[in-house]
Amino acid sequence: MPFRAEVLICMGTSCIENNSFEIRESIKGELKKHNLTEEIRLVSTGCFGFCDAGPIILVQPDGVFYQGVKEKDVPFLVEEHFLKGRPVKKLMYTPPKEKIPIPTLPEIPFFRQQVLIALRNRGLIDPEKITDYIARDGYAALAKVLSTMKPEEVIREIKSSGLRGRGGGGFPTGIKWESCRQAGERRKEKRYVICNADEGDPGAYMDRTIMESDPHSVLEGMIIGAYAVGAHEGYVYIRKEYPIALDRLNTALEQAREYGLLGKNIFEQGFDFDIEVHRGAGAFVCGESTALMASLEGKAGVPRAKYIHTVEYGLWNKPSCLNNVETWSNIPVIINRGAKWFTSIGTGDVSRSPWGGSKGTKVFSLTGKVNNTGLVEVPMGITLRDIIFKIGGGIKKGKKFKMVQTGGPSGGFLPEELLDLPVDFDSLTNVGSMMGSGGMVVGDEDTCMVDMAEFFISFLVTESCGKCVPCREGLKRMKEILERISNGEGKEEDIGLLEEIAFTLQYGALCGLGKSAANPVLTAIKYFRDEFEAHIRDKKCPAGVCKELIEYGIDPEKCTGCTLCARKCPVNAISGELKQIHVIDISKCIKCGICYQVCNFNAVFKK
Amino acid sequence: MIEIEIDGKKIGAIEGETVLRAAKRLGIKIPTLCYHEAVSPSGACRLCSVEVQEGNRNKVVTACLYPVRPGLVVKTDTERIKKLRKGIMELLLARSSTSETIRELANEMGAQGGKFLEDKNKCILCGLCIRVCDEIVEAHAISFVGRGIEKKVATPFIEISDACIGCGGCAYVCPTGAITIEGEFIKLEDNIFGKLNEFRKKDTGETMKEILKIDSEGQ
Amino acid sequence: MPRITPEDLKKIKEQARRTSILREGKGRAKIIVHMGTCGIAAGARKIMNALLKIIEEKQVEDVILTTSGCAGLCSREPMATVEVKGMPPVKYVDLTEKKIEEIFDKHVQEGKIVREYALGVGSEKTE
Repeated sequence: MPFRAEVLICMGTSCIENNSFEIRESIKGELKKHNLTEEIRLVSTGCFGFCDAGPIILVQPDGVFYQGVKEKDVPFLVEEHFLKGRPVKKLMYTPPKEKIPIPTLPEIPFFRQQVLIALRNRGLIDPEKITDYIARDGYAALAKVLSTMKPEEVIREIKSSGLRGRGGGGFPTGIKWESCRQAGERRKEKRYVICNADEGDPGAYMDRTIMESDPHSVLEGMIIGAYAVGAHEGYVYIRKEYPIALDRLNTALEQAREYGLLGKNIFEQGFDFDIEVHRGAGAFVCGESTALMASLEGKAGVPRAKYIHTVEYGLWNKPSCLNNVETWSNIPVIINRGAKWFTSIGTGDVSRSPWGGSKGTKVFSLTGKVNNTGLVEVPMGITLRDIIFKIGGGIKKGKKFKMVQTGGPSGGFLPEELLDLPVDFDSLTNVGSMMGSGGMVVGDEDTCMVDMAEFFISFLVTESCGKCVPCREGLKRMKEILERISNGEGKEEDIGLLEEIAFTLQYGALCGLGKSAANPVLTAIKYFRDEFEAHIRDKKCPAGVCKELIEYGIDPEKCTGCTLCARKCPVNAISGELKQIHVIDISKCIKCGICYQVCNFNAVFKK
Repeated sequence: MIEIEIDGKKIGAIEGETVLRAAKRLGIKIPTLCYHEAVSPSGACRLCSVEVQEGNRNKVVTACLYPVRPGLVVKTDTERIKKLRKGIMELLLARSSTSETIRELANEMGAQGGKFLEDKNKCILCGLCIRVCDEIVEAHAISFVGRGIEKKVATPFIEISDACIGCGGCAYVCPTGAITIEGEFIKLEDNIFGKLNEFRKKDTGETMKEILKIDSEGQ
Repeated sequence: MPRITPEDLKKIKEQARRTSILREGKGRAKIIVHMGTCGIAAGARKIMNALLKIIEEKQVEDVILTTSGCAGLCSREPMATVEVKGMPPVKYVDLTEKKIEEIFDKHVQEGKIVREYALGVGSEKTE
């Protein structure tokens, strides 16, 4: 009996955290119970991207998209949809504030504007089956390259596509490959290709998803790249904290080797290449290319000056070509569909030079105070506004947008006035931020910019390698100043002092981490100066976040005397009889905010 | 020989050498802290930062590591560089408020204390001691341990080291006097690296001076 | 698993074709068997099984078989809607296993609507 339907269940990290393993087992059981196992196939796929809506199930060919599935929903779901032919409305996606669900995936606003290149196989393959990847044109690009193209041709194609590094640097990939090959030929040295899978930006998980959901796309890209630059050895440097991605990667490597797609004589075309996986050990700085290579060599992950590029002297002083996960996964598609097609997506003009534009798409992890958090892939040039409001579904709970943080700790905060900026390599850099590796965090009226700046600086303080004075000492002092401001001990000269340290960092720091470290603080001061001044002069936190500066109180006109807050208060700071107005004793209050959260009458306020 | 320009003066530089070396030949003084001729440059203190122009790009780089290239134009004392050096020294002053060397250098750069809370670390993590131990005497007894603000120079397990040959080279080269020889012990603040060897117990440091000088001349 | 050549890639892709069409919801034709309670009571499952058997025996790869709930006209169950690309959708009623086989051969495979069994022929084309 052929299968008439497939149940595709998401096995990305986020859904697994929410019991998709258990849901899968439950579905297996229910299908068996109803004798449907011969008709309906259960397929485990990678991440669908709409992580806010997980656990996710897609039923094909019906195209019905289920979200927020719980284990207890499964028996009803199987019986209703597969036995009775009635898709279950209450498990479908309903946009906030609306009543009618949208049953099929392509109509859901989160998915509608997305263009999938790096995530082309999203929800369509089992990442642990190489045949699924091949069925979707997997390894066809490699076959084309090895049997019909010379290395120089491959480099030319990637150059004309305008592809630029997706890890944040935005360096034209084709030029990097060309330099690496030339260095190797000039010095008659062996070369290496490396995949930077260290993804350290807080909240960013684009690379994690690509590796978990489509590891072969990265491998195929690397093999093509190795052929182009003339390398026979490759490394994947993957951060320690990605165990599922590591597993899927290792499975993919095994299968690729079995099929003769890695190792000696690939595809029987005479090219030898294999890949070794190296795990990081918990250092953000190891995402920096020279620190990464030092770590690969077994040394401490400390960057060095890049006056001599790593394409010349990289891993073990040999010409090395380091690219990000997402960059590698774009390569097979560009080879298959052509550079010209790739340049039809995105901004700018790359006919003279790849620096002239931002071509293709970018994967973003959209997180924070938006309704639809998740992973999205959109064409370069789409505006911040479209990403946040059309795809992201706007701000949660109807609150007001305040800022969007792009580019992780190297990027900056952008205010509402800049929402119509196109997202690409250059537009955001011009206003003090950067697109970076794709992290996007949205803040609302309850987000405090001093607090946010402090968060990123604190992160960098713990992650700084400590070699150079500006970064090691400068970030420490920035943190001290921001803490004082947050605690109501800010001084008039603090903003100036922060700007001075920022100058030292920008021009004095040894590596990218230090050089861009001040961006969050600088943009926070530039676009939200009034908040800093409120903290410093008025000792107030307008967003109601900085603990020392807020006070909780109960509005006597709204309080119904239900006693809920008094009962929940961990330090017994609230007094009041049943049906009597309650009062908070400020001297006992530890500002945990529990009363504010539990009150059903909005009677607790922050000031 | 390749022609470069430093502060308006044209000089011939040797292929492969650094801006710092070329400047020294011209007699142009660029301040350094973590640099010593006898060991490899590190680029940690950033004090030797200069502005270089290549084509139409202007950037700030450390002279101790930047290789000369034909047509290179270097400026060692622009307003931006002065401001940068001052900023670096202000941060170092806060770290090592008790170090004479740092105080003097800070004074030269126009840096003033009192901007930040002051600490009393004599060690500025320049790494010269480690490089002498690794590259000159090749004992490899000390190294950097820890990351970021926790970084320190130490022996493995912060114990007195068997690998230390007791030459005292680290103490000799330390710019701030953070490493000292007390009696027979070679110490960084409270941590003992090793014991002075018999030869050095009688020697006043002349040997170390010779070793470091010979190596730099030999290069 | 033996090492593959570029030609083998195409073979593997072909073998997976039926799955791809199913998984991506693309197909030349789609047959929707209405399986509301009334449909099931009237024997919609038998119609479904008959179709599955035909598809397997004839090795058909580009036809999608799916279900939906009650179509509303309970007195004429079992019912199925046939959608062939480029042709208007057609609702067939009072189905038996024999009728659905004929509909499959004539309408789905040869593109000839079997009007005697049809309730109505839709006015839009399926894109």
